[in-house]
Amino acid sequence: MTTQTAPKTKIKIAYFDFTSCEGCQLNKLNLENHILDLLEHVEIVEFREAMDDKADSYDVAFIEGSISTPTCVERIHDIRRRAKILVALGSCASIGGINAMKNLQPIEDVREIVYGEDKYLFPTLPAMPLSAIVKVDYEIHGCPMSIPEFLQVFKALAMGKAPIKPDSPVCVECKLRENECLFDRGMVCLGPITRSGCDAICPSFGQFCTGCRGLVPNPNKNAMLDILTDHGLSLQEAEKRLLLFNSYQHPDTFK
Amino acid sequence: MTLSTQEHNPRELYYPEMAEITAIKQYTELEKWYEITLPGGRDLEHQPGQFAIFSLFGIGEAAISICSAPSKKGAFDICVRKVGMLTEKLHQLEIGQKIGVRGPFGTGFPVADFKGKDILIIGGGIGIVPLRSLINHVIDNRDDFGRLVILYGAKNPQELLFPDELQKWNDDPRIEYQVTVDQGSPEWQGNTGVITTLIPGLDLDLDNTIAAIVGPPIMYKFVLMALKSKRLPDENIYMSLERRMKCGVGKCGHCQINDSYVCLDGPVYHFPDIKNLPEAI
Amino acid sequence: MKRYNLLLQNIPDFVKHLQAQGEVLAPHTKGDNSFSFDKVTDANNVILDYNRTLQSIRKFFLPPTERLLNYSLTENTFTKVEIENNQRIFLGVHSYDMQAVLKLDFNFSDRTPEVNYLKRRENCTFIGVSFEPDDFHFSRSVGITVEATEGFDIFLNRHENGYEVQVLTERGEGIIKGFNALENAPELAETNRQFKNKIKFNHNRLPEVMEQSWKSPVWDEVAKRCVGCGTCNLVCPTCYCFNVVDNVDLSLKDGSRDRHWDGCMLNSFAAVAGGENFRETLASRQRHRIYRKFKYITDKTGDPWCVGCGRCAAYCTADISIVEIINQLSDEFEQNYLRKSAAPAEQII
Repeated sequence: MTTQTAPKTKIKIAYFDFTSCEGCQLNKLNLENHILDLLEHVEIVEFREAMDDKADSYDVAFIEGSISTPTCVERIHDIRRRAKILVALGSCASIGGINAMKNLQPIEDVREIVYGEDKYLFPTLPAMPLSAIVKVDYEIHGCPMSIPEFLQVFKALAMGKAPIKPDSPVCVECKLRENECLFDRGMVCLGPITRSGCDAICPSFGQFCTGCRGLVPNPNKNAMLDILTDHGLSLQEAEKRLLLFNSYQHPDTFK
Repeated sequence: MTLSTQEHNPRELYYPEMAEITAIKQYTELEKWYEITLPGGRDLEHQPGQFAIFSLFGIGEAAISICSAPSKKGAFDICVRKVGMLTEKLHQLEIGQKIGVRGPFGTGFPVADFKGKDILIIGGGIGIVPLRSLINHVIDNRDDFGRLVILYGAKNPQELLFPDELQKWNDDPRIEYQVTVDQGSPEWQGNTGVITTLIPGLDLDLDNTIAAIVGPPIMYKFVLMALKSKRLPDENIYMSLERRMKCGVGKCGHCQINDSYVCLDGPVYHFPDIKNLPEAI
Repeated sequence: MKRYNLLLQNIPDFVKHLQAQGEVLAPHTKGDNSFSFDKVTDANNVILDYNRTLQSIRKFFLPPTERLLNYSLTENTFTKVEIENNQRIFLGVHSYDMQAVLKLDFNFSDRTPEVNYLKRRENCTFIGVSFEPDDFHFSRSVGITVEATEGFDIFLNRHENGYEVQVLTERGEGIIKGFNALENAPELAETNRQFKNKIKFNHNRLPEVMEQSWKSPVWDEVAKRCVGCGTCNLVCPTCYCFNVVDNVDLSLKDGSRDRHWDGCMLNSFAAVAGGENFRETLASRQRHRIYRKFKYITDKTGDPWCVGCGRCAAYCTADISIVEIINQLSDEFEQNYLRKSAAPAEQII
């Protein structure tokens, strides 16, 4: 019998990190239950957190962190040239994430505040997701990156198929798990317009959604703001809540 | 309340039958033709215009039209454009490999009612695929029908499907075949322009002509307008609509247009039935 | 019909009596202010006095995620999945949720009967309970009273210090047999609980309203407030749309084909592989949702396909109310159509 959808060879993968807390990469090392199964299918050729070697080309490059300096731009171009498939790992890489909050202020002010009189040594750019500079094939969202989504993307790539890109909101996963809505517990939650794929992990443990996976396609942001203010936030608080992870994609959401 | 599950065969809904790919032809960069053989060479027993749901384990399912006529025995054909997860993987398969089949599903062309009529085929792009089933049915039962007029439009000459058969249609004295492409090439000597440009020149026996239309969503409106100005009665028009399908059996809800399930009531519709159906055309 | 009285203090014993006969599923508290239907493990935790459960009992017949088949990638073969149909006793079901099950029975039997659902529906006993309508319930407006007993084997009608037990079917008699802590039936005045939340027209006129509402501005107004989260679909006891996906084990050798609940309010519900989305706007999706409940199936069966549970409004974070939508459409219908009914229809559309 021919094995027509099962993978035939190991894929060469590499990990890189840009401006980030490296939490996503550590999260990946936390895949203890799965890591041996994963290693059956891959050959890791570059992973700073776990090894020192370097390679010339990769089937899949997983990249964590935002682009925020001119050096980052050069490096990401170099990685893109050597990677058949490039996957953004975690919010910083996929949507700009927390880093992009700095974009809401003039870049020179930010540089001054952070580096003081040494600022001339540290050129800086507005924080950007990888897709602002290079073509990104797939994204694994979340802060830190969502393990269920990582496994989903990983398995798909190992099988040579396109991973599913979730575009429904977190509410769907909450309802499938029959969670009590956090709005009914007096909280405000960004689940209604945040991209699912995390299995509603935060609401399932009583923590409201902070929007770390980015907004769904075509989000009705004004309606979401109304929801937040109707449930007790001031307009300013509501805007801040939405911008926490989504400053890059939606910098002028509320102007 | 007592509900019985005895009357029907539970296998039929979501369990596929494993069928073998017995021939493959690559037509274009995106389109491949497959001959599929069910276990024991059993016939699919479909009607022209019907579809089946094909699956690969680990990849998923997709609804694909059958493009051979019921008169082809022992196997059936599909022609697949690489557009999604399943079709992408399907394109990598080779002769001898197996795929899951559920079906046939839906309502096809009511060919028994077409007997004695002139058949006008209007196919745009991959719309020619489900129409090939009807064309071959007419060819294989040639004396049951009147004229066979085929209008086929594609974006460019490279995207024309079934090239070997197009030549046969062209050479057959009992087929009136016309083809046009939106954009020609240096070698292309045929018509250029959208498919509707072929309609005004037709000489039709209006009361005795059945038009069968399949094409991209944008095409229907313009073809219908052109047929209207030819004064072809609405009752003589049939068309096949594409929608997202998951279950194929009228449950999952994805293919619904208003109160109509495309997987049950379609994909082939009699135009008067959907003329006033919002969101249909 | 036999009638008895069940005192509040005897309810735990009644639950234990049921547990001896099969798996008992009943409302329990969930989170801070919610309820959910779960398997009873401790008879004292059953709550019969509740407003609504987060999900209806639909989840036991059409599970949120369901394995359709298992397969081996290396062998390219599949194995069937056993569908369980053990004895199950549903205790404390409200009339509207029972009606919703009867509607799903129709959907899963109609045209192409679906064994997955129908087999799970076998061997079920339903014990209903009355409820006090809150601000969201409006089942009376769709023809379902609090005390409606259709579908139930036993119905418990609340009174001051207990429940009137109505034994409605032979199955119900069999279930109650041997439970001795029952009193003689109380003398109760006819109960007919009132609803605050109401659709202004009789429900049998709503298909006519819908007929005229396709181009209503109401859809755009609702769409402005809606974020398209799909909650209204996913909590609806008569919604049954689903998606099917293949999931593979990390071994990449085995996997399963699974279906999970889907919703027509979600962005890509009607999108095809080629990229076309046949209901791209929130307004068209809201209209489809409402027409599914009050027109499409209603035209075929004569019944509204909404049971008035109020979940879609109660759990909508944007406070969109199906009753308000219907009433706005009814107002428009009244203004544009009824008052000009002398004029030919073409002029009005």
